[in-house]
Amino acid sequence: MASNPYFSLAVLFVAALGFGLAPLGLAWLWRQVYSPSKPNAIKNAIYECGLESRGDAWVQFHSSYYLYAIIFLIFDVEAVFLLPFAVAFTGLGAAACLAMFVFVLLLVEGLVWAWAKGILTWA
Amino acid sequence: MKTLEEIKAAIEAAVPGAGVEIVQNPGPAAQHSLRLQPGSAFEVAKFLRDDAELALNFLSNVTGVDWPDKEISEKVKVTRAVTKTVDGVEQTVEETVEETRKRVEPGYLEVVYHLFSMTQKHGPVILRMRTENRSDKVELPSMTPVWRSAEFQEREIFDLYGVVFRGHPDLRRILMWEGFKDHPMRRDYVEPDDYDYEPTAHDAVLAKAKAHQAAQQAAAEKGAAQ
Amino acid sequence: MAVDQELKIELGKQGVFVTTLQELYNWGRRNSVWPMNFGLACCAIEMIATTMARYDLARFGAEVFRPSPRQADMMIISGTVTKKMAPQVVRLYNQMAEPRYVIAMGACAISGGPFKQGYNVLKGIDRYIPVDVHIPGCPPRPEALLEAFITLQKKIDGQSLTGEDRPRFLNSEAPGEFAVPEPGEHDLEPAANKNVWTVPVVIR
Repeated sequence: MASNPYFSLAVLFVAALGFGLAPLGLAWLWRQVYSPSKPNAIKNAIYECGLESRGDAWVQFHSSYYLYAIIFLIFDVEAVFLLPFAVAFTGLGAAACLAMFVFVLLLVEGLVWAWAKGILTWA
Repeated sequence: MKTLEEIKAAIEAAVPGAGVEIVQNPGPAAQHSLRLQPGSAFEVAKFLRDDAELALNFLSNVTGVDWPDKEISEKVKVTRAVTKTVDGVEQTVEETVEETRKRVEPGYLEVVYHLFSMTQKHGPVILRMRTENRSDKVELPSMTPVWRSAEFQEREIFDLYGVVFRGHPDLRRILMWEGFKDHPMRRDYVEPDDYDYEPTAHDAVLAKAKAHQAAQQAAAEKGAAQ
Repeated sequence: MAVDQELKIELGKQGVFVTTLQELYNWGRRNSVWPMNFGLACCAIEMIATTMARYDLARFGAEVFRPSPRQADMMIISGTVTKKMAPQVVRLYNQMAEPRYVIAMGACAISGGPFKQGYNVLKGIDRYIPVDVHIPGCPPRPEALLEAFITLQKKIDGQSLTGEDRPRFLNSEAPGEFAVPEPGEHDLEPAANKNVWTVPVVIR
């Protein structure tokens, strides 16, 4: 059994599990012996801002919120590609510059299309 | 800038029957003000804002004043018929007697607006409006549709003085909570008596703490007697 | 389980360290008191200054200001508690996990301060929640807050795990919930929590 190459891994796994669970178990034991739990309605309320909780924690977001998230991706992806491009700018040729220009133009087109569609205005 | 008399004349020319009065300020500041009638105040306000020469387009401050009912006692000389016995004969004689009469001057709530012009760079022009009394006829026209900055301050006056602004878009209490009944800035407001623990009281607080203690003792004695 | 102090010092000199469970527990707790991240008025500015590099509250293990009551151990009532705010403060205190401590910072928080005769200010937060340390001042200097914090640490150090005088959070009979005052028609109802605050006798 000890010759199994996975044996040392299994030992490490058990040790890691014990390392995580031991403090939790100790804390649980401590609680059983010393500190009683005293839950109440206010303590278990959903929100923690001091005001009374109203309604459910599960709320629906407006659908235009997701459109905003998608448009945000335009800028996000743009930044991801523009930064390495800018860092290596001095060593690049005209072809790379042109490719980047086309890429940015494509993204801008997407933004212009969304703008024209009126997605940026919150209905 | 035009003088107050000129502004008054301009208002009366633009809004017939506005009934604007000039209220003198006898203090050293001498900031005299225009008193508007609640009926025409809204029209006058629009004129003051839109008039090219006045262009009072900035409302810097709105505040309230409480004028409680005043009891005035004055000495009046009264002539009246008195029946007297003079030389054994009953006679009716006219006699002048000094008498103290009391009359109550009804109080009112007052709202004061301070206006400036951002374009003409002049001001302030002070407007006043008065309610009919302090209890049930406390409605005044709201200036919020004319000057948006009046919104929160009118809410504050509604909260603390109890003036009800007609035409206000969102007239709710702003400082005190919903369900609070009093108007704390009125002069006859009675604050809740919670001066139970005053270890270092002096002056007014000491008086209030003593009054609280006396009330507590009286209540305790009453409870013991029953 | 008490250890003789002299014996303990003697053993310490020999390189042997003796402790009790209670001592270890209190040592851990007093050095990681996390305050709640909220300020009520101008005292909060002094509280912020206390946490910054010059006064450095982190030296005492309290650098982590938690934005949630569930993760906080201590509430610093830093400033004026208005009657409109008091229910929220009491509710936040209720939502904190035990053990929890309260420092009432400044004249307003302990008595109403300069607003005592106003219509809208609570005359001391100790009317609704148990306060561990009061700091006078308007506002108290950061040193005063540090002093209050050290006082609180001493208080934690003196708490016992068992016995009659053990703190509230170790006692299953002691209440864990404090009534939240309701806004009434003229004042908060009730004007004070009778289980928390009784009127101290003033001798004049």
